[in-house]
Amino acid sequence: MSRIHLPASGLAEDMLLNDKEQSEGFHLVTFNLGEEYAVPISQVYEIVRVGNITMVPNSPSYMEGVINLRGKVLPVLNLRKRLNLSGKDITKSSRIVVTEVGSKVIGLLVDAVSHVIKVSSEFVETAPEEVLEIDTDYITGVGKLKDRLIILLDLEKLLKREKFDIKDGGNNGEKN
Amino acid sequence: MDYIALLKDYLDDANSHLAVFDDSLMALESNGFNNDLVMRVLGALHTLKGNSGMMGFESLKVYIHNIEELLKQVNDNEIELVEIIAGLLDSANVIRNALQQIEKNPDASPDLGEDILTVQQLLNGSGNESEKKSVELSSYLGTKTDTIKVDFKRLDDLLNLVGELVIYKTRLNQIETEIRGVVNNKPLTKELKDGLEFMGKIIAGLQEGIMRARMLPVNHVFSKFPRMVRDLAKSQGKEIQLLFEGEDTELDKTVIDELEEPLLHIIRNAIDHGIEVSRDRVNKGKAQKGTIVLSAAQESNYVIIKVRDDGKGIDFDSVREAAVKKGLIKPEDAPDKDNIISLIFSAGFTTKNEATDISGRGIGLDVVSRNISKLNGHVTVDSIPEKETSFTIKLPLSLAIIPALMAEAGDEVYAIPMSAVDESIKVREEDIHVINNHEVIRFRERVLPVIRLNDFFGLNRKRKKRFYLVILGRADRRIAIAVDRLRGQQEIVIKPLDETFGKSYGIAGASILGDGRIVLIVDVMSFWNGRNKISFEEQKPNNV
Repeated sequence: MSRIHLPASGLAEDMLLNDKEQSEGFHLVTFNLGEEYAVPISQVYEIVRVGNITMVPNSPSYMEGVINLRGKVLPVLNLRKRLNLSGKDITKSSRIVVTEVGSKVIGLLVDAVSHVIKVSSEFVETAPEEVLEIDTDYITGVGKLKDRLIILLDLEKLLKREKFDIKDGGNNGEKN
Repeated sequence: MDYIALLKDYLDDANSHLAVFDDSLMALESNGFNNDLVMRVLGALHTLKGNSGMMGFESLKVYIHNIEELLKQVNDNEIELVEIIAGLLDSANVIRNALQQIEKNPDASPDLGEDILTVQQLLNGSGNESEKKSVELSSYLGTKTDTIKVDFKRLDDLLNLVGELVIYKTRLNQIETEIRGVVNNKPLTKELKDGLEFMGKIIAGLQEGIMRARMLPVNHVFSKFPRMVRDLAKSQGKEIQLLFEGEDTELDKTVIDELEEPLLHIIRNAIDHGIEVSRDRVNKGKAQKGTIVLSAAQESNYVIIKVRDDGKGIDFDSVREAAVKKGLIKPEDAPDKDNIISLIFSAGFTTKNEATDISGRGIGLDVVSRNISKLNGHVTVDSIPEKETSFTIKLPLSLAIIPALMAEAGDEVYAIPMSAVDESIKVREEDIHVINNHEVIRFRERVLPVIRLNDFFGLNRKRKKRFYLVILGRADRRIAIAVDRLRGQQEIVIKPLDETFGKSYGIAGASILGDGRIVLIVDVMSFWNGRNKISFEEQKPNNV
């Protein structure tokens, strides 16, 4: 399994050349799920290619399974399924974005990782509910970059909500 | 703990206190009076005194008591430190000699009559520079200690490293097999094989050594209960004695730590629901005093812990009634003793109408079953009405590394903990029969229910003509798990699954194989629970 590290240098700097004029702001990692989505780079640990994913039986359908990340058993969440978007098969460009929120490390399966971009804090606007396919609860906001619309995900809410969901409905069939 | 072991502990402890005493005296001698130091000395002496008294070394106890008095007077400024420091330094040697005597001949309590007089003279201020006893040089060597205290984290780290080593050893063995197939150089491949075998032995030794280092006698947890039993028995007006058997059986510290809560619940249950009040017992012709026996024994790679009480046993009818009330079973279900009795492990189960202080709130036994399952163990219960109830807990010696049977189902490989496996057999599709809509197999004069792992986990089912059955045993019940192929037995290192997966029914954890592949560890408990569910549903009338 090869890895592409996305530190603040390297790739990020290349991308920044386009946005020289913006001196203040923060970095986002953008990825594709039909629409373009993004999470703050501070929450991204690394990005790995999709290797062997071991399916975990009787887990929520959006849990893709577990992968071996250098000797650690890492859970992988299928972000499309989690956000109730239509499904798409894993392709060559599929990636797992390993995120770290609080003490929780979890991999997010996405169609493709696009870019690291630097944006100013004014970039983010409140999401207009009617234009979005997904639940606005999970969204920090949307941003327009040239002609692109980028949806900012609130991972903390997404992961917290999900834990809650499991407690509610995850014990089907459990008897003891 | 036997006397020899206790004595060893005492001596180790005493020597460390003596060292504190010595060090502090030296510091006092060179730096003069210092309240903190004196308090430190007093603390060390006090413990030593108490321990010596407990071990029956009366004279040593009295001697240390006198030194304590002396130091207290120093602290209260009644005696100048300089006047007695020499005497104190001598006293350290006296204690050292006494400890050496004890080590050589533990049965004789050293007589320190004369030395006590010397200290008392100092106490009375008549500390005439008594003739210095010549001290043998060797007495400064003190007794050697065989024990060291180690932070548990360090042992944990070591075990993790050994775990990785075990994984890579497995991988190397696989590579060796592959190499033997392609390289046509017999001497060389043989040497590789021998080398690996030798390394394997050393790794196994290392693993065992570290696991041993992490073990504690179960007495660590057993000893927490006598007081609880006494208090609870008293509050309920019952007479109960708690007996231990095999309390020096050793278990991994992490298992010991996790064992306390389940045992607590089981013992509470025995006191509350099991043992009768004395009057009832006498009327029934039983001994007036009820007995709870807590026993531990090692059986190969497992430890069996039993809690047995000679109380009134489990009343099957009221368990059945309560289960029906809770909707766990239907009134028309067949009264199968095994099934009924295992219901008491269900969440929120209670037969008592009113909750007592101690148990009966409907929490407890489900916690037991869950906790034990978490430790990759099993708990079973058996009962003879009006005679006894016994809970049997079977636990692996270690939490971190367990032997497992690797089985293929669908496209995945699953690890089945060997603790649950009785045996495995190869069968053909036509050996499986269907009774009452359920697949069964006739095996050794018994009819065992068959659960196909593929179906259980919702995997693709490859219909194979020949496949394998893994027979799992729990008490005297057997169940057959159908898998596509067996890959043999292997030691696996358990890694917990992230809570994101919820309870992921049927999975107890994950492990990483030598080739980097992840296998999931099957939670064998779920098969038994699943079986209950099936058999109850099956008897629902007009079940569609």
